[in-house]
Amino acid sequence: MKLIDQSSQQYRRLWWFASRGFAAVAFVLLITAIITAPSGLQNFFNGLAIGGVYAIFALGYTLIFSILRIINFAHGAIFTLGAYFTYFLTGSAVGFNGLLANQRLPFGLPFPIAMIGGGILAGLCGILIERVAFRPLRNKGSDPLLTLVSSLGMAVAIVNVIQLMVGAEIYSYPRNPFGELPAALNLGTFGGLTQRPIIIRTIQVIIFGVSMVLVVLLTYFINGTKTGKALRAVAEDATTSSLLGINTNFLILITFFISGLIGGIAGTLVGLSVNVSGPYFGINFGLKGLAVIVLGGLGDIPGAVVGGLVIGVAEAFVPSEQVAYKEAVAFAVLFLVLLLRPQGLLGRAVVQKV
Amino acid sequence: MSEAIVLEVRHITRRFGGLYAVDNVSFAVQRGEIFGLIGPNGAGKTTLFNVITGMTPPTHGELFYEGINITNKRPHEIAMLGVARTFQNIRLFGTLTALENVMIARHIHTKSGVLEGVLGLPPAPQEERAVRQRAMELLELVGLAEAAEMQARNFSYGDQRRLEIARALALEPKLLLLDEPAAGMNQNEKSALSAFIRSIREQFNLTIVLIEHYVPLVMGLCDRIAVLNFGQLIALGAPEAVQNDPAVIEAYLGE
Repeated sequence: MKLIDQSSQQYRRLWWFASRGFAAVAFVLLITAIITAPSGLQNFFNGLAIGGVYAIFALGYTLIFSILRIINFAHGAIFTLGAYFTYFLTGSAVGFNGLLANQRLPFGLPFPIAMIGGGILAGLCGILIERVAFRPLRNKGSDPLLTLVSSLGMAVAIVNVIQLMVGAEIYSYPRNPFGELPAALNLGTFGGLTQRPIIIRTIQVIIFGVSMVLVVLLTYFINGTKTGKALRAVAEDATTSSLLGINTNFLILITFFISGLIGGIAGTLVGLSVNVSGPYFGINFGLKGLAVIVLGGLGDIPGAVVGGLVIGVAEAFVPSEQVAYKEAVAFAVLFLVLLLRPQGLLGRAVVQKV
Repeated sequence: MSEAIVLEVRHITRRFGGLYAVDNVSFAVQRGEIFGLIGPNGAGKTTLFNVITGMTPPTHGELFYEGINITNKRPHEIAMLGVARTFQNIRLFGTLTALENVMIARHIHTKSGVLEGVLGLPPAPQEERAVRQRAMELLELVGLAEAAEMQARNFSYGDQRRLEIARALALEPKLLLLDEPAAGMNQNEKSALSAFIRSIREQFNLTIVLIEHYVPLVMGLCDRIAVLNFGQLIALGAPEAVQNDPAVIEAYLGE
């Protein structure tokens, strides 16, 4: 009996070392591959830029999930709305279709302010979604699955309203939204480390920068402010929080606002990079955002950031002639990670209490 | 309404489907008293606590706290008026530290509002320091100051109960509802509990309502006792009177 115990313990220790060793070797190989591949570093930087947007977009899901334990399926639609709001706030005109054809605002805001304004309007739409699709069901104590369906309904409704109002055409933001900046930065070859010089578009730098600023602000908000502390308390136990004088419904509204705000800004950032492709702009993004939060660990804020960056970088390594496989890569990464870590990259394993 | 009455329960009924969890119960709690609520399992004691704190709206009846009708108020509004409670099945924020648990309850008494939080401004450092200091004092009072930075879920059962009381006191309540404070405590902790509850009543000018199964504690501690059975109030009075009430004996021992 004792013999078996010992050997199984040894086996376990061996397995622990082997798995950690394997992970370390894989990591080193991955880094080497990134640096030495023909356009490895270039892809890596491209991936970081889009990954930053994935991260902030996914944070919008994560915030609501951590409080309500429900995925807000309308988040992709909020992303789309944010991109459109920014477009109109810059004073650009609606296209030839839709009820608002050829209309434009009597004023135009500078792009950075329009982006923030678009985010705020998207945040207000988030509040609307909470009031229409979430709160009535919550008050009746209904199954979370039903709320999931009603949020999906909101997504469909929003997409159709957008199409009705402004048509389905592609919208592009004004040129040079940040004034006269060089279109790209040439980082050179890092002393011959790479075969071709690495070139980063200015837009990519801006996208990544804005995303990371939002991540830092949000982290500070959650950990450093009184409202953030109250949010963490509500996430853990809403009933007890309300008995400690915390207005839970109001905090949920704030959560939806912030989620919508960063979702809307994410939409603007992507629109800046690839144009606003129509009312369905956010749908694919919405699915990928789900992959990101599952990858990072549901409800985990650092996890959403890491997950976003990982998926962004993984996608960037898809060769441009096979761009149709980008989505497949995101979900393949998700699939592989879940095989090894079902709780997500940074998620904690849920211990079943007996 | 007399100034001496802190909480008045008027004809409160709470039905769950066909079950009357609380059935037409009325009583008034005097300022400064320790009021016991006892009864066999399933008698409706915790449901009554849930109704008083706004977690479960009553089916019929009215509640008055300090002369204010709180029947339709929401839990956080009632908490802000000065009603705090602890739970039979402890409900701490397990992943937060003991100190954070207490500080969250303190925050409703700070001035800086939600707007400040949304804008991401730091809480005024002075105010934050005061909140932290007061929270530490409360932890000291319940004997947990050394464990202030420990996650609440790592505490022993008895310590978790004391932490819950510290958190409730942080609300600066006038009325404290304790749901089975002695449950899970060992004999020593139980004997110390009576003295502790009395001392916090003096120190914080509290009125206390407590649910408890441990009879020696209830009899020795409470000024008055209400007995519930199947949701109905079957006795109300001083401990000795209630102890000898035939209806109470029947409820506990059967015929």
